[in-house]
Amino acid sequence: MGGTSLPRLADLDTRPGRRTVLRAAGASLALASAAGCGPEEWGDPLHALPRGVAAEDATYATVLDLEGIGRGVLVRTRAGHPVKIEGNPDHPGSLGATDPFLEAAVLSLHDPARSRTVRRAGRVPRGAAATTPDAAVEALRGEGLHILTGPVTSPTVARLVEAVRTAHPGVRWHAWSPLADEAAEGTRRAVGEPVAILHDPARAACILALGGGLLDPGPAQLHHARRWSEARAAGRESGALPALIVAESTPSLTGTKADRRLALPPQEVDALARAVAADLGLPVAGTHAEAAPIAAALRRAGPAALVTAARGQPASVHALALAMNLALGTVGTTLHLLPPLHTPADGTLADLAQAIAAGTVQRLLILDSNPAFAAPAELDLPALLARVPVSVHAGLHVDETALACAWHVPLAHPLESWGDSRAPDGTAAIRQPACAPRIATARSAEDLLAALAGLEQRGEALIRATWPDLDDEAWRIALEAGLIANSAPPPRAATLAASFDPGPPPPPAQGLVALFAPDPHLWDGRFASDAWLQELPHPLTKQAWGNAALVAPADAARLGLADGSEVLLSLAGRTIRTPVIILPGQAPGVVTLPLGGGRRAAGDVDPAIGLDAYRIRPAATPWAAPGLDLDAPDSARVALVRAGWHHPADARDPPMARSVAPGAAIPPLPPQPSLYPEWSYPGRAWGMTVDLDTCIGCNACTIACQAENNTPVVGAEEVARGREMHWLRIDLHTETDGGGTFQPVPCMHCEKAPCEIVCPVNATVHDHEGLNVMVYARCIGTRTCSNNCPYKVRRFNWSGYARAPGAVPVRNPEVPLRPRGVIEKCTYCQHRINAATTHARLEGREIRDGEIETACQRACPTRAITFGDVNDPDSAVSRAKREGRNYALLGELGTRPRTTYLARIRQGEPGA
Amino acid sequence: MRRALRIAVAAAGGFALAVAQSKLQRPAPVLPIPPRAKPPPATLPPNPVAAIPLQRSFGWGFAFALAGAAAGVLLLCYAVAALLLVGVGLWGTNIPFVWGFDLINYVWWIGIANAASLFAVILVLRRHGLRTAVNRFAEAAALAAVAAAALYPILHLGRPWLFYWVIPYPATFAVWPQFRSTLVWDLWGIMSHVVVTSLFWYTGLIPDLATMRDRAQLRGRLAAARLYGLFALGWRGSVAHWARHQAAYRLVAALVLPMLVSAQSIVAFEFATTLVPDWHQGRVPLHVVATGIPSGLGVVLALAVVLRGTLGLARFIDEDDMELLARLMAAASLACLWLYLDELVSAWLEEDATRQATAARVIGPYAALWWGGLVLTTLVPQLLWFAHIRRSAPAAIAIGLGAAAGVWLDRFSLVAGGLLHDHMPRIGPAYAPTTPEWTLLLGTAALFALMMLVFARLIPVVAMYEIRHEESEAEAP
Repeated sequence: MGGTSLPRLADLDTRPGRRTVLRAAGASLALASAAGCGPEEWGDPLHALPRGVAAEDATYATVLDLEGIGRGVLVRTRAGHPVKIEGNPDHPGSLGATDPFLEAAVLSLHDPARSRTVRRAGRVPRGAAATTPDAAVEALRGEGLHILTGPVTSPTVARLVEAVRTAHPGVRWHAWSPLADEAAEGTRRAVGEPVAILHDPARAACILALGGGLLDPGPAQLHHARRWSEARAAGRESGALPALIVAESTPSLTGTKADRRLALPPQEVDALARAVAADLGLPVAGTHAEAAPIAAALRRAGPAALVTAARGQPASVHALALAMNLALGTVGTTLHLLPPLHTPADGTLADLAQAIAAGTVQRLLILDSNPAFAAPAELDLPALLARVPVSVHAGLHVDETALACAWHVPLAHPLESWGDSRAPDGTAAIRQPACAPRIATARSAEDLLAALAGLEQRGEALIRATWPDLDDEAWRIALEAGLIANSAPPPRAATLAASFDPGPPPPPAQGLVALFAPDPHLWDGRFASDAWLQELPHPLTKQAWGNAALVAPADAARLGLADGSEVLLSLAGRTIRTPVIILPGQAPGVVTLPLGGGRRAAGDVDPAIGLDAYRIRPAATPWAAPGLDLDAPDSARVALVRAGWHHPADARDPPMARSVAPGAAIPPLPPQPSLYPEWSYPGRAWGMTVDLDTCIGCNACTIACQAENNTPVVGAEEVARGREMHWLRIDLHTETDGGGTFQPVPCMHCEKAPCEIVCPVNATVHDHEGLNVMVYARCIGTRTCSNNCPYKVRRFNWSGYARAPGAVPVRNPEVPLRPRGVIEKCTYCQHRINAATTHARLEGREIRDGEIETACQRACPTRAITFGDVNDPDSAVSRAKREGRNYALLGELGTRPRTTYLARIRQGEPGA
Repeated sequence: MRRALRIAVAAAGGFALAVAQSKLQRPAPVLPIPPRAKPPPATLPPNPVAAIPLQRSFGWGFAFALAGAAAGVLLLCYAVAALLLVGVGLWGTNIPFVWGFDLINYVWWIGIANAASLFAVILVLRRHGLRTAVNRFAEAAALAAVAAAALYPILHLGRPWLFYWVIPYPATFAVWPQFRSTLVWDLWGIMSHVVVTSLFWYTGLIPDLATMRDRAQLRGRLAAARLYGLFALGWRGSVAHWARHQAAYRLVAALVLPMLVSAQSIVAFEFATTLVPDWHQGRVPLHVVATGIPSGLGVVLALAVVLRGTLGLARFIDEDDMELLARLMAAASLACLWLYLDELVSAWLEEDATRQATAARVIGPYAALWWGGLVLTTLVPQLLWFAHIRRSAPAAIAIGLGAAAGVWLDRFSLVAGGLLHDHMPRIGPAYAPTTPEWTLLLGTAALFALMMLVFARLIPVVAMYEIRHEESEAEAP
């Protein structure tokens, strides 16, 4: 069954509210007849596990890439299906944590909208011979061959490109990413040659983040966040918290964690960097009002200082950041310099465009890259691609580039193919398939390159050939560990270039500045077909199923804009129409345009979702483009889909997300009387703490919970009605200056649970270990429990979201699928507790502290979530609850929640 | 003028316009209500009340109204079927606004039912003169409203086919209902309400059913006579029968009385016992019970006017009765005004969360509902103190139905507006009813109308034995 049948299936459901989900998640009926790896019938378990899946579970270590950089993961499979991704604790790229992109990989693997067939000119060709990828590869043999890939750290891909070069002399390789910035050029200006920078905030005492970025989504986010949280934990112990000073143009996750946040337009970020650098004694000129105290704070920290430059900053800021680190002597403590991780290619996309225009490109292979969508509009890539006689696109989906190319070859998913890549610190890891290929015709990029190079080897043999030093034993160890030990390059030293010149400052802005930024969930657009990521609320705007231009409150007031106002944005003669969101903390004069929305062809995703900022992104100034023209021609407003919960500032006293001064404690609540008898929990009593001090609001826990617990996707229309199903929502308590505190809110498992006494049928009750359990089979759906839940963490299946045709086609068989009309909510990953209990009983021992990790806790990059037995005084959760900053949310209501929070610690503003 | 009124009546209530086409009835001027004139009994036609149900035909207008109501009930069937097949996702509810029209309409219908039967019960117990006139249809209206209300607690469930799990029956897996839940109390409340209200209505009906049996037999309509006879339970009108009937009737009436307060209060407990700040107040049950009274009285008042006009019953529901009913309604509304003021004052005296929650209801996005309820339920009915207004039939209908609508707005404001400002104040989507919810409301209104039409067609709308009693008393020296 091919993709052509999907619209017909989608049309079966006449309710408009389900349409978007159907487009995004596809029809699971299509899955039923697809080639795959294991039982295609998952069943709809409510009372028991589906037959046959419980016995076979296995976990594989592998690695998944973002921007070519690998993050090690453990893939849990059930009956041959990868069902859950978790971080590999040994891998430096993930350190055991996951981000939303990693979590979503199991869904993209099972996406029924994945490309299944070879296409010519956008159509499935007739004849069996023409439908194999080999035909496409054969067509590529010859003169004038160019290869376009994303950024590559994979030693195998680099080796294979060289092999292709041997087979086809004159081949040119272009590596390009729409999100690659001038970091390499910046480091070249600072130290004379390009280097890769590995930030290590674990030992930092004072961090200056230029443009935010440190804790924001990206290939090194997990590494940075974990290391920063370690610095934070050490600081709480020692009483000297690390200071985080953020100068940024648009609010970011980093900015919300800042002790001091400066909202500056892009050119002023550069000016501030120059002024601080000048103050630190570097040979640059510049003044800025805020510079002197910031420089003093950095100087005080000395080698424990750290200056970072975010993705998208100009080369000058990258150069200045590295120069300041060198001046402060931080290399070796908070910063490591590495040889460039990405293998240098022969050119980039601009060179390819030039070559096509010059007519020298006869053959073009595009591997997992989507230039027809993401290239700057002025290059007009679709028209250029049409001029290439033989163009072959290999991708997961029939995307914009696939439609513009002569050939399209389905690409194997990273979870079903062999490969390798390097972590942010350069550690190499093998990517091994976690399941049999789901699509027979799909090929991995490595296999395609090998075929093009005329090599006989495929798959594992190709990778092994790259690593000849690994014997069978070492190879097996590398696969089991998920990384190749000691493969990281040694850190290198560097000195400031003798004639250090950060380059010219950006021109002063006239009018508005357009700031292009990766979308936190769609990234560069490659994740747009993933329903989980589409439905995940944006951390700061809480927008789901789309994106919008972000404007500062002052600009909005001046231009008469409100949330959802539609505006025309023009840059160098190109115009897009988009709604806006007013974001407190946005630098005045800056309009942020998230990239990655508005895909025209991305599986089954509705093309109307989101704005496509690539259409006006200039090639010369791809990150901060001055001269943006904002026009609100009519007062049209669109209804934005905003999920999650946004709380007005100072909504209540005491606040929901509390803060304390360093060392201060929150007074415990007085004993609360209750009419109902006290229950004793003689055995174990499960509890959780969430540390607001380290939570960075990255949404990993929300999507990990969704993947673990089969939480359904409901679609844009249902989210707009307020029916999103995420069991773990992340509340944002905004402050007027753009800062804010994130507060993940799972079920509180109250000891005096208000939900239990109002349920007429006893469908929600307490168990002997203090869990507030939900008996789905007993629930009749009065929804009274939700009314009486002051935390509003209960979710209701208004429709049969999880079981309807078109529901998310991947399931964790351990967790029942909830039918229509029942309430559901966080269970503290009850099935994990049961599994660990059984396991411990089989081994004749007690459960060890830390043996049970909830899905959210496992995913958290900053280890903000602690779970365990509160009856055990030595457990991590008991220790956390003994901290002075432990408090119960709405504790004054007498609900006695088992989930408590550790207040955020606010210190005086450093560098003020 | 009379024709115009009929059209207005049919448009407003869809109720029994055509009964007036009856050729047997004596034409009775409706507007203005004539001064009470007691013609000598000899000039009266033989009991028109009993004659009405025995007419062969009620004319085209009645058929038209019946067809309209039946179509509405079909619509209700469609809405219920759609609800069962697709689910409560059809409604505009969400988290945290988990309840919408289901609870709004439920509380509203219950309020109408309660007020109507409360009114009837008080009249019976006090042996008030007005009872002869309005008791029967007040009880019928209560029964129809309870039937309309009883649909909602089942339909509002996520899995309505499992509603019986709320009933404590010895299930094989030994799971019992949660007796602390107000929803379980509510099951008993509504079930008792249905049983006692129908018992009350039926007990009062037995002597008249016997009369109908006899008259049908006199006219040679044996099938109708058998049917009436079946439900008349062998009534022969002996003194013993009368004594027992009066005892039973008053006993059931006394049974109804506490239940009316309790049933409404239990519904209100569903709100008052939660942690929601605006709901969690001891005054909520009083507010719900008391504001229900003008809505029920309003419906009874409107029905009385309609019945007078269309069935020519001005002799039985006379001007004094109407005056009394209108004044009662105005007084009840005045009491509600006090309750509304109490809402504001107690919110002012309450803690922060409650104060803010009430403020959100009164001036928030649902403010129009709260103010609409205040105006229609308490202020507009005050016009009934003016004699020329309460004597105007259109004004009485408008004010009566307006009060019912006002209480509906009040229930909307309570169910949806009460959740606006919770313990964790938030910015997010609110609740707005959808077409399936309006369809359901329309459907239950049609069900109410259909039940009343069938009642008017089959059963004497005024208690005949009471009238006989009253008239014989009047004739006695």
